[in-house]
This record gives sequence, structure tokens and C-alpha cells, in this order.
Amino acid sequence: MTRNKDSVSRRRFVQASAAAAAASVAGCNGLGLDDGGRKLNLMHAFTGGDGAIAAEALFDAFREEHSDIELDLEPIGGGGNQNLDTVVANRLSNNDPPSAFANWPGKNLVKYENALGDVDDVWADNDFGDSHVDEAVELHKQGGTYRATPMASHRLNNLFYNVEAVEEAGVDPTGIDGLDALIDALDAVATETDKTPMTQAMNGTWTVTQLWAAVMQGQEGHQAYMDFIEGNGDQNAVQSAFETMAEILENYIGDDASSVDLTASNSNIINGDAAFIHQGNWAAGAFRNADNFNYEEDWGAVAFPGTENMYCLHFNSWLFPAQNPTPELSKTWLEFVGKPKAQIAYGKNKGAIPTRTDVSMDEFGPYLQDVAEDFAEVDNRPPSLQHGLAVTSDRMSALNDAISNHFTGPYDSEAAAQGFIDAV
Amino acid sequence: MRDIFARRKSDDESTDRSDETRADGGVARAGREKPGVVGRTRRALDRRFGEDFVESAPFWFPAFLLMALFVYGAILWNLVISLTDYEGFGLAGPDYSNLDFEMYVRAFNDSNVINASINTFVLVIGFTLTTLVVGLLLALLVDRGIRFENTFRTIYLLPMSLSFVVTAQFWLWMYNYDNGVVNIVLGTIGLGPIDWLGNQSIVLWAVIFALTWQFSGYAMVVYLAGLRAIPDDNYEAAMVDGASTVKMYWRVIIPQLKGATISASVVLMVFALKAFDFLYALVSGYRPPAGTDILATLMVREAYQNTNWAYGSTIAIILFVMALLIIGPYLIYQFRRDNL
Repeated sequence: MTRNKDSVSRRRFVQASAAAAAASVAGCNGLGLDDGGRKLNLMHAFTGGDGAIAAEALFDAFREEHSDIELDLEPIGGGGNQNLDTVVANRLSNNDPPSAFANWPGKNLVKYENALGDVDDVWADNDFGDSHVDEAVELHKQGGTYRATPMASHRLNNLFYNVEAVEEAGVDPTGIDGLDALIDALDAVATETDKTPMTQAMNGTWTVTQLWAAVMQGQEGHQAYMDFIEGNGDQNAVQSAFETMAEILENYIGDDASSVDLTASNSNIINGDAAFIHQGNWAAGAFRNADNFNYEEDWGAVAFPGTENMYCLHFNSWLFPAQNPTPELSKTWLEFVGKPKAQIAYGKNKGAIPTRTDVSMDEFGPYLQDVAEDFAEVDNRPPSLQHGLAVTSDRMSALNDAISNHFTGPYDSEAAAQGFIDAV
Repeated sequence: MRDIFARRKSDDESTDRSDETRADGGVARAGREKPGVVGRTRRALDRRFGEDFVESAPFWFPAFLLMALFVYGAILWNLVISLTDYEGFGLAGPDYSNLDFEMYVRAFNDSNVINASINTFVLVIGFTLTTLVVGLLLALLVDRGIRFENTFRTIYLLPMSLSFVVTAQFWLWMYNYDNGVVNIVLGTIGLGPIDWLGNQSIVLWAVIFALTWQFSGYAMVVYLAGLRAIPDDNYEAAMVDGASTVKMYWRVIIPQLKGATISASVVLMVFALKAFDFLYALVSGYRPPAGTDILATLMVREAYQNTNWAYGSTIAIILFVMALLIIGPYLIYQFRRDNL
């Protein structure tokens, strides 16, 4: 009798666990297939300081225009875009893509080959091709098809300065017309003041790669830079750029550079501890957020010496994954970010300019108005090296390997140049 | 050990004897009936793996299955992926039809992998040894019956309770060339300043030092437990025999701490393999300061920045083999001592 009862309850137990297992498997399936009730799932890395403010303004503007669409936002900050890239990579390789994600276009798209969908209709229906600079058109295509739309642009070839520091050294930044003049100016700061001539965040390699691109453009010219990124670089030109950079890094960047990150180096300018910094113009966002630190009174910006006629391009774009969970909503989003309303809402808060050439700059403040003017007028808009446009991500990784191995002090220009030539 | 054998032997004998008695009494025993296939299998399993192997299965088997699937299964799957050429976001996923060791050949010829392996090795060995030595010294000092013993023990142990993210930020500031406390302290005795994080030949040691600071408290606690387990007689006998304090520790006490050393070093080595967190937090990125690239950071960069999944898996397997080489001797040691 007892045995019998036992076996029944055991069978019940087995049945119950089988049912539970089946239910949980069904549950997993359900999660995978559910459309999420028209929720637009967006992944981005705009989490810190002005980035978060700009993202909030952007999403508010979208809600105003499309109150029927619910947003499912996934901000993933940290490590530049690295953490975002990691999460996106996991989602894409698990065939569970978000509706859209923020990233760089250009050669960076190669990494997402086969994983991006087609948004030709978004570009055609909205005449994005006509309202954007020519470079944007090519940079958002892969295999002849549009894969993304741009939202904002930062300029890479900037030299920012602390007005008080350069005045104390008797240097006029607007007169620095080349690398030799830059080194003279740095030297003047070093001899005339007790300030660091140039602050450089050396705790990562990316700032060095980025500086090299600016030196290469400024010293060897636009064509030499373009030849390099296309894989036909002249080794002498590459090495010569490294030698100039070695002179700067060896003598003028401050002894604690290796423990300085981007935030700390921006602070060096704000506090007046350093005179110059080369950085993408997201640095201007940090300056603007500092108290009592105003454009042209306390800080200024010129094009990196020798690159006055260039705007080194960076794009903040939204990429459209293939097998999109919400294709129509995602296209609505990509349309929205390419239009003036979104570009103004995001750009003026982030310190970036619109990628369209027909947007009124009234709301943007004097510094960004100057940038937008340059953007429209310069002859050349070379793609940025360190921010995804010029080379694929594994080449960028190889470039940074070369910097890490040969150019973080001691500075071996020859080996670094060889590493760069081999990398692309 | 010997006791157990002796007991088991006598048990056997007594069973035999009782069997005889019962047989003499003509009692039929259920166990003597010829068992069916299920019964035979069950008995074979019980004989092989111990009493009640099958009966206890409901208790351990689900957990075993989950571990097998999610830990060992994942390692195995990772191994298979490392044999493919999987990269990028092909919607089909990895191609399992063509498995070869191409990625391993590439890894063994890749100077980055070789560098990272050397750094990983130096980090594991350097960190473990220095932490053990520092931990032992602290334990000996705390064990000398000092005042505020508990307070000191807590102070030394406290850094371990902090997360790597916090300690990495501490050390980033402390290693600052201009205003870091390390260079200021060295400056007062006329040394330095030293570019701790910028100089490729010392940065790894700076990282090891920071990790040692964090974990020597743990080694201290393990050693302290070991010291407390040594009877006072040992100390007294050594004293009576006229050994100096140093000699007493060196000849009598420390040799008895072998077990503590082994278990502490295994845990520390595993911590060293997790140094990824520390390096990541130090630079808030996947690329640590030049000269500190370890296999874990290289693996993440290859997999997630370059989407070279197969190559990343290969580096993971190399790291796994290194970990096995460390844990293996410990497992053998424990097995020989009958603890497994």
C-alpha cells in the first residue's frame, strides 16, 4: 500500500517537473518571438554628463512627435563605446537584435557585415542624400546599400587652448600655421610659464592614435593621410609624423600623462594647468559645462595646425540591424534622427553639429556656429582614424597595438611607423 | 586512513560471519535471488561509485546536470568554436563542418598572444608569491600576542572587501606621477619620481603590488588559522631546546603551514586570473596600460572589438589550460591525501 502511494507521488513529481520544464521552455520561446507590443528598443552609450542630457532631449523630441510609439531604451555606458559594442555584439550574434543602436558608420560597418538591414527607402523618401554633405552618403553605405542614418558630427582636428595660459606665454594660437609653429608655441609655454604646454590623456592608446592622425594631416597633408588609410601609405611620411609627435610627447605633455584620462586632461585646461589640448570637440562640451569658463574669454579653439582647410569627420549615427524586431518603428526612428528637429535637440546639448547642411544654427551658441561654418566651407573632410570611419575595427585595433608596443614611451618612431604601415 | 580500512575489514568479517549463521539456520535471503537487468546495473553502479549511488541521484543529479551543461558544456562548446573560423555576424553562426587548429597556429605565432601569456604568467606567479610572503609575515606578527590584535586583523583584511573597481581607481590616483601618494612618499626619502603606469618595464609590477596590497590580508587570515592549529607544545619544545625565535619559526612552525600555503595559493592564483576587472577599471577600457596586457584582456578585445569569435575562443582555451596547469597539481595533491 505504502509503496504504491510512494510511486504515485513520484510519478506526480515527474509529471509536475516535466510540466514546469515545458512551461519554462515555452516561456523562453514566448520572450523571443514577442513583438514587445510596438516598443522601439534603442541601445546607446550616451550616459555621461552632456551625453545623457542630449539623449534625454532627443528622446523627448521623439515622444513629442510620435506619442503613439513606446520607447524601450537601453543606455549602456562605460569604456567609450566598448560596453555598448559588447552588448550589441552579443545581441546580434544571438539573433536578438535591438530596433536600432548608436554607433559609428564608415568602415566600422564592416564589422557588422550581414547583420545590418537596408534603409535605402529612408534616405530616398527624405532626400537625406541632398541635405547631407557628400561624405555622409558614402560613409553610410555598405555594399551599395544604406545601413544607417547620421544624427550629429564632431570635429576631430581641433587644438583647444586656455586663453590665460597662452597669453602668459605670449603665444597667439590663431597664428600657429603648422607643426613647427606648434612646437615653437609649446616651447614658449614651457619656458615662459610653469604650465604644462600640452595635456595629453596617455592612459589609453586611443588619444595617441587620434593625435597621430591630426599630425599626419597637418604635416603631410590631406592626400598623404588618405593614401595611408587606403593602404598606400608612404612610410617616410608616416614615420615623419611619428617623429614630430615623439618630439611633442617627449618634451611637452606633462610627466603624469600616463595616469591622465580624458576627463582629467580636460580639467587641466579648465583649471589653467595646461595651455593646449588636441581632442575631438566633445572636449568643448566639458569646457561649456565648467563654471565661469567661457568660449573666447577663457578657452578658445583653432583647427589643428596645418589642417585649417579640413574638417576631420566623426559621425554619431544610428545603425539598422537586419532581422529587425520592429522594422517599421526602427525606420521611423532612423528618419527622425536624420531630420533637423532631432539633430538640433541632440547636437546643441551634446556640443555636436548637425550632419545636415540646411539646419539653422541659431540655437547652437557661438562655438558650434563657428564649427558648422567650417564644416560647410572646408575643402576636405577626411574620415577619422580612431572613431570608426577610416579603417575597420580590427585594423584600428592593430594600429593601437602598434602604439601600445612602440609609442607609449620610449617613443620608437621607426617601429611605430612600420607597425602602422603593416596594420592597414 | 588505516583506521577506516581496519574498520571496513572487521565489518566485512562480521557480515560474513552473520551470513554463515543465517545460512546454517536455513534462512532464505532476498539478496541471494538473481537480480534483473536494472538491479544488476544498479549494483554495478553502486559498486563502482559507492553505496546508494542510484538512490541518491535525485539529490545530486539535477545540480550535476546544470553544472555539466552551463559550465563544462560551455567550456566544451568554446573549445569547438575555437576550432572553427567563426568571425563577424554571419547569421548562420559558426561553421562546424570544418574543424582545424588554424587559430592555435595563428595564436602561437602572434606576438600579442605570446606577450600576454608571459604577462599572465608573471602576474600569477609574482602576485601569488609576494602575497603569500606578505601574508605570512603579517600572520606571524599578529600571532605574537600583540595588543589590538583583532583591530589589526580587520585592518589588514579590509582591502579585500573592496571591489576591484574601487581599488583600481585608488591606485590610479596613488600612482600619479606628479601628485600620487606613492611618489610623494618616495620623494621624502629622496627616490623617484617614478612613472609607475607609463613605464612598460615596471607597470606590471605596480599592478602586482596593488593586487598584493588588496589580497595579503586574505593570505594572513589563512595563515593565522594554520598557526592557531599548531599546538603550543611545539613552541615550548623549540624554546626549551634553545631555538631562537627566527629559528623556531623557520624550522618548526612554517613547515607545518604547508596545507595553508597550498590552499591559499590556489585561491590567490584564481584571483590573479581575474585581474581583468582591475585592469579594466584602471583605464576604463579593454586595452590596459602598455606592458600589462594579459590573456583575459586580449581575449575580450579579439572577441568583442574585432568580432574574431574563434580567435577569442582560442585565447580563452589557452587561458583555461594555464588555469588547469595551476589547479591540476592541487587536485592531484588533494586526491593523494584522500580529500577528493
